[in-house]
Amino acid sequence: MTRKVMKRSVLALGLGAATFTLSACDGVTVGVGYGVGYDPYYDSMLWNDYYHDRDVDVDVDINRPDRPDRPNPPARPKPPIAKPPSRPHPPVARPPAARPPIHRPSPRRR
Amino acid sequence: MRNLLSMALTACAATWLLGAPTLADTPVTYTDEGRALFRFDVPDFWTLRTGGPREIEDTDLGDARAVSRVMGIKPVTDDNVWMGFVSPSRVSSIKGGLRYLEDIDKFLVKDPTVTSTSDTRIGGLPAHVVRGTGNRDGRGVNFTATVIDLPRDRVAIGVAILRDGADPSYVDALNAVFVSFRSLQ
Repeated sequence: MTRKVMKRSVLALGLGAATFTLSACDGVTVGVGYGVGYDPYYDSMLWNDYYHDRDVDVDVDINRPDRPDRPNPPARPKPPIAKPPSRPHPPVARPPAARPPIHRPSPRRR
Repeated sequence: MRNLLSMALTACAATWLLGAPTLADTPVTYTDEGRALFRFDVPDFWTLRTGGPREIEDTDLGDARAVSRVMGIKPVTDDNVWMGFVSPSRVSSIKGGLRYLEDIDKFLVKDPTVTSTSDTRIGGLPAHVVRGTGNRDGRGVNFTATVIDLPRDRVAIGVAILRDGADPSYVDALNAVFVSFRSLQ
């Protein structure tokens, strides 16, 4: 019984000590790029126009030559006036002409 | 023996609980060229990002712009809240501070709309507060921009940003930062 309790307490204390040993590793390591990622507000607060002289109107394009006029677009191509000759068609049998019957029974004589 | 075991467990638990960080804010001092200008408290479980004086250049135009130290704080686990302080050089009055603010707010927040402005005192110093809304990255944000008139021709500019959907309890944390604000001159 005593031995069992001893074993248990050694296990409990050993686990506790192991937890401390493991947690001691946390937080003292020095990492690069950890924790500082995209920080938009910080970056934005750095940027300012205050010291930028706003009263000077600098025309960056001052030495640029004038833009040439747009060239006239080429004329639209016109469709050919004459229609191209149609392809020869193979002879097609004409349908039979609708003729009245040759013989018609005459009305019955009385 | 059983007693010993329970005592050992109790000791373990007590160490765990007492080992947890006690609730105390962290004072931070903003300095410029070795001169301490003001201090504020960073709330617990927030991260502080400090910068320094530098020049940033526009890659298209090639004009360098001076930037003073910017200090940004935000909760460790939440991106919806942000607060930043800057004390720009050569800005000596609240009026100048508001002009400076106009020149950065277009980068901080898109389509800003001012909802209210007020004059108040922060840390015993005259201050001007501008509250408004806008949007950023497609989400609505609430911002509170503050210009605090520091002695000896300096101002402190503080901007607090709460994105829509942020935990409202962060408002208390942000106010606590303003309450802890003290000039150091």
